[in-house]
Amino acid sequence: MRPGRNFRPWEGSPRLFEVARAERREFWTEAVGDPPPVYGERWTEVADRRYRLFEPGRSKLAAAVVRGWAGDLPAPGERWLYLGAATGTTASHVADLVGPEGRVYAVERSVRPFARLLALSERWPNLRPILGDARDPLAYASLVPPVDGVYTDIAQADQLDIVLRNAELLLTGEGARLLVALKTASMGRHRSAAGHRESAEQTLAEMTTLFPSVPLEPFHKAHFMVGGRWGRSSRLPVRETARPTTPRGRRPGRRAR
Amino acid sequence: MRPTLVVGNGPALFVIGPDSARAVGPFSLDPDPLRAAARSETLGPSDVPALLLAALESVPEGSRLLASPPRLARAIADSVHRPVESPTIEELRRVRMSIPLLDPTVERRFFLALGHLRLERALRAPEEVLITLAREEERVERSVGREARAAESFVPVPDSPLDRHLVAWGRARGALRDLEEALRQTLEVEAQRQVPNLSAVVGPRIAARLVAAAGGIGALARMPSARIQLLGSRRRPSPERGPRFGIIYRADRLADVPIGRRGAYARSLAALAAIAVRADASTHRDISAGLVARRDRRVEALRRRRG
Repeated sequence: MRPGRNFRPWEGSPRLFEVARAERREFWTEAVGDPPPVYGERWTEVADRRYRLFEPGRSKLAAAVVRGWAGDLPAPGERWLYLGAATGTTASHVADLVGPEGRVYAVERSVRPFARLLALSERWPNLRPILGDARDPLAYASLVPPVDGVYTDIAQADQLDIVLRNAELLLTGEGARLLVALKTASMGRHRSAAGHRESAEQTLAEMTTLFPSVPLEPFHKAHFMVGGRWGRSSRLPVRETARPTTPRGRRPGRRAR
Repeated sequence: MRPTLVVGNGPALFVIGPDSARAVGPFSLDPDPLRAAARSETLGPSDVPALLLAALESVPEGSRLLASPPRLARAIADSVHRPVESPTIEELRRVRMSIPLLDPTVERRFFLALGHLRLERALRAPEEVLITLAREEERVERSVGREARAAESFVPVPDSPLDRHLVAWGRARGALRDLEEALRQTLEVEAQRQVPNLSAVVGPRIAARLVAAAGGIGALARMPSARIQLLGSRRRPSPERGPRFGIIYRADRLADVPIGRRGAYARSLAALAAIAVRADASTHRDISAGLVARRDRRVEALRRRRG
């Protein structure tokens, strides 16, 4: 079962490795921490380097990569802000991607998941845990230096607002990245999942140059990875007209579209 | 004239302006990252470094003095005896790029110390104590039950080499029961103190479990009774057939209701619990007498209806 020598860096990120198998494509990240496993995932050691399996069923970022994410990923040496880190499953992989020279500032509001995130940070040298509320970026702005990207995974109806408020204050500026794991199920039933995706893209398009978004099915139901590069460019079409809102009482979410 | 801005970067503070856009500093809260973390959490006037205050003396009267976060602004205002404003997001964003980065080792130690401080403070809050107790008590209760069932099906054989272990196991079961009892007593006292109305209606232990399942007293108070009724149920409610009751099905006085009527009782109890916890969360008035009377009337009505 050992992946052996066929680890080769994926074109999108030098610390992400693709292992082609007969049945499926597998992705691994090079572990920054020691010992490597964080949540019981498979890991292996090849030529003094440790790799952890990046499981699409556990991590929305991994699911996005498997589903063909063509946008940017966290790159070595970068500083990233991670909103909604929970126990650090995906945060540890983002920390792997930015490598020992990079930093991940991981914000989590709930006390008990944070306890595990803190324990993980003790052995993950580039992870910086923050017990705080992502709705209030001013509260931790004095802890987080300007960051090259914001990754968010918060199941809140107003998660895009939260992301943009953080981005405005904390990003380095033009060219910085936003990655949003969009959970449409917590964004209301007045729009379908696809409708939420579209409206999220419209909102982001005002501030960023969009990456092509991808659905995270079948790994995460009604989830999408959307994102973009800070600073608007004319290269991508921006939908200017707002779609009419769905009348109350109609529930497009219930219908197959 | 440009404003003067004081901003923090973890344990270090910097002054930017009025003459140049370069950050002057660092003015460290404390040379030791651990103590610096503690200071940054309290951040009173006595925590502002003296050298920083000296640097602010050259700021001319009448020019704007800004500081972020707001707590730092208050602390400085109290020290220099002049108004200190909070910067706008735009002002803050512009200066952030000119703040030097921290040394990685210092930064890491600072963050870990700060994380531990905040976690401990959060866990010490009475509400979190109640939640932790409820979870632990439930877990230990399950262990006691499991061990007791195992003991029932274990047939001791005379003069077996197992004897020695059997005695030890019996002692361990006793210790587990004692632990459960002790946890339960502490839990009941805490629940009656923090959610007195809810405790009166459903019993203190179930009250604590409801709070734990909801994630807090405020969260429970915001739930409709239908949600409270299902709290702690295992399967997910599905359109076909989901669970109908959760933790509430183990509430006080349920045993007094005939079996076929227990569902109806649990439903009414969830409604009463919703009212009770709202009083506990917001008005803090004691409305337990009225609620308990309603509950008992309901029990009587359900008993009569069968016969």
